[in-house]
Amino acid sequence: MSETIGGEVVPSSTRLLDVDGEIDLMIEDLDLWYGDKQALYGVSLPIARNSVTSLIGPSGCGKSTLLRMMNRMNDLIPICHYDGKISMGETEITAKDADLVKIRKGIGMVFQRPNPFPKSIYDNVGYGVKLHTKPTGEELDAIIEKSLKRAAIWDEVSDRMHDLGTSLSGGQQQRLCIARTIAVEPDIILMDEPCSALDPIATAAIEELILELKKDFTVVIVTHSMSQAARVSDYTGFMYLGRLVEFGETDKIFSDPELELTKRYVTGRFG
Amino acid sequence: MKDIDKLQKRNRKLRGLTELAGSMGLAITGLIGLLFLGILIWQIAEPTFIEGERGEITAASESIPESNYRFKWDFPTVDENGKLYSDPVVVRFQWNDENGFHSHDVQINVIDTRQVKTDIYIDSNGVDQTEIEVGRKTNFNAYSSIRVPVSVEQISGPVPNADKTGYPSVNSFVITGDVHILLDDENEQVFQPMELIAWITLLILVIVLTWPIVATLKIIQKLKGRRTLIKLASYVLAGITFVVSDGMFVAAALGGICWIVSGVILYRIAEGIERLESLGRELSEPSRLKHSISDRDGVLMWSRMLLFTSALFIPLLIDIPFLTERYQDIFIPYASGIRAAFYGTIWVMLIAMFVSIPISVGAAIYLDEYAKPNRTTKLIQALVTNLAGVPSIVFGMFGLAIFVKQDGFGWGLGPSVLAAGLTMGVMAMPIIVLAGQEALRSVPRTLRESAYGIGCTKWEVTKDHVLPSAMPGMMTGTILAMSRIMGEAAPLVVIGATAMILFDPEPLAALNGGNVNFTVIPIQIYFWTAEPDHAWHSMAAAASIALICLLIAMNSIAIVLRQHFRKRLKS
Repeated sequence: MSETIGGEVVPSSTRLLDVDGEIDLMIEDLDLWYGDKQALYGVSLPIARNSVTSLIGPSGCGKSTLLRMMNRMNDLIPICHYDGKISMGETEITAKDADLVKIRKGIGMVFQRPNPFPKSIYDNVGYGVKLHTKPTGEELDAIIEKSLKRAAIWDEVSDRMHDLGTSLSGGQQQRLCIARTIAVEPDIILMDEPCSALDPIATAAIEELILELKKDFTVVIVTHSMSQAARVSDYTGFMYLGRLVEFGETDKIFSDPELELTKRYVTGRFG
Repeated sequence: MKDIDKLQKRNRKLRGLTELAGSMGLAITGLIGLLFLGILIWQIAEPTFIEGERGEITAASESIPESNYRFKWDFPTVDENGKLYSDPVVVRFQWNDENGFHSHDVQINVIDTRQVKTDIYIDSNGVDQTEIEVGRKTNFNAYSSIRVPVSVEQISGPVPNADKTGYPSVNSFVITGDVHILLDDENEQVFQPMELIAWITLLILVIVLTWPIVATLKIIQKLKGRRTLIKLASYVLAGITFVVSDGMFVAAALGGICWIVSGVILYRIAEGIERLESLGRELSEPSRLKHSISDRDGVLMWSRMLLFTSALFIPLLIDIPFLTERYQDIFIPYASGIRAAFYGTIWVMLIAMFVSIPISVGAAIYLDEYAKPNRTTKLIQALVTNLAGVPSIVFGMFGLAIFVKQDGFGWGLGPSVLAAGLTMGVMAMPIIVLAGQEALRSVPRTLRESAYGIGCTKWEVTKDHVLPSAMPGMMTGTILAMSRIMGEAAPLVVIGATAMILFDPEPLAALNGGNVNFTVIPIQIYFWTAEPDHAWHSMAAAASIALICLLIAMNSIAIVLRQHFRKRLKS
């Protein structure tokens, strides 16, 4: 089944696609509306464990919305409502009575603009840990050190732990946000264009970090940069006008996509 | 293209003009404000007397030392031939000192020759003259070497009684008239050295914290591992300062706080040094220490504020008897103070704060964060917005009906401090709610998202992230509302604040059956200006200055806090 929208032929709903290995998060037939305007049309997407899945597509195609749906961040927008199912193992994320705190602890998020809390670096990382577990002072110190080291920022901040997190540079702030996210030991990390506000050097550092994080976490990343998706991700989903048009291994999407539309997008001829 | 250029140019000009007009307007407003303040100060230094056309005694006090009076015999009455026929003027000097009440009359004979005069000297034995001769239009002085204010009253003589001509009669013209009314630096207070040492310690520590140097840090380094001891020592020292002090209460309290804050600073520095050492860093780079002291900016801000405030009371020995020691004296204006009114104001403010802040902040959070945006919420919002614009006297009527009166819905608190505080609290609520909502709305969405993103509940997001970020705005709104309350007289007139009381107001009198009477500074000013005696008018001016100083202090605290938090959020 396919239909024509805006002069392009797109499949009316995505087929469920298999990925290698275990599936961490499963999205099935997700429709989403902002008020009367539909933003997602029957999206289905599997997220494989310990892999990087990237979502690409032109602006306004719904990739950030889809990402924010994965930890129910869209609930903060009052006019947003949805239909469909997202499940993470046994837990159904889209359930009405779902425990949002538990879900968001398990699915951390890094945002487009670095947004550390206006607290000290120490408290930035320690806050979430203190919230979910009740560590002793030494345990907390150890967790914070470990998280900062994993986020590759320890060397830069180890002697200024009580400076404000907001006093760091943009790239450092973003890595601090990543440290804050991984400190609570999530299963999945969602990244919403984490490098769009950063310079090339900071971007390279973050990309390297993503590849490193893959060993312990499952990463889903929304990006505008095709080259970034190609560099860091194992699976790529291409979205267009609220539909997941094509999904597959990154190599295949970039070298030999099934649809003409995808090919034109990844080669930079539109979007 | 050309037209667009022209337009842009004109636009730029217009914008420039608007900018200029705006800044000029602001500058003029500021200047007018300064002018008014100047007039106030001038009024207290040189009271303006209503000048009679005929004979009249005027008193002025241009830069005369304390308790000295200058008299001028102006326009004595003359007959058709230009000869004087005025009766002698009798002036009565009165004062109260440790030897009891003194009353001395001096007869002033006015003669025709100008520049002839005799000065009067007042000491503890009395007045050195009983009869003097003074030429017409000649200034003469009364010098006083005693410490207490002396009142001067004209007993007899050609004061224009004014019944026929319409000039008011002046029967008393007392003036000591300088800042001595407000401030007292007579050094009567005995300061314990403990307070001064506390202040100096804090000063040194603030300097160390502001510019850390290796040499000073080496000394503090020796204290590491004894952090509990530092804390304990500061508490003990504070206690000692407070107990052994027999000077001013304010100075003792501030000295105690100085000790505690010094302890906190030392504790934090020692902690920072330990942290640096555990990382294997050397002390040779003291600038690194800046970054390892927890909340250094906050500590610095609070201790600087404390240092500044206590500087007035500890090293400068400023005492303000006008505010905190003297009650109103019914007969002698310059022996009066606003103690009762000052404490009344403080109590009303405290009760108003206690009532309004929790409710209003809660309401603001509920309306902005929790309430669903439905019709009821919108209605409440509109009502709150309108309430902020309701004239204060209406709140006075509300307070009268609900808090003061017994019948109907009334709580029957009577015209008491409690009723006044509750009324003022109700008046402040809409202002604080609106300021709080504004502050909450200005918290960036990204901050909420990042907090939700690591798994906070709604309450945790509000309590740990949104509220601290909205704090500067809320605090500013609150302090501004409190300043407004402080200067408000209208609702309290309705409630029934008294013109004059000779005891400290009891905050809970309405509940335990004490004397409910109270007054506040604005009311005191209002009643003093209504007195016929001019001397009370300069007292009203003095009270105004005291009120303005209190307001400036409160607003400065608001500004400092706001800047501090803003820097923290923006940096």
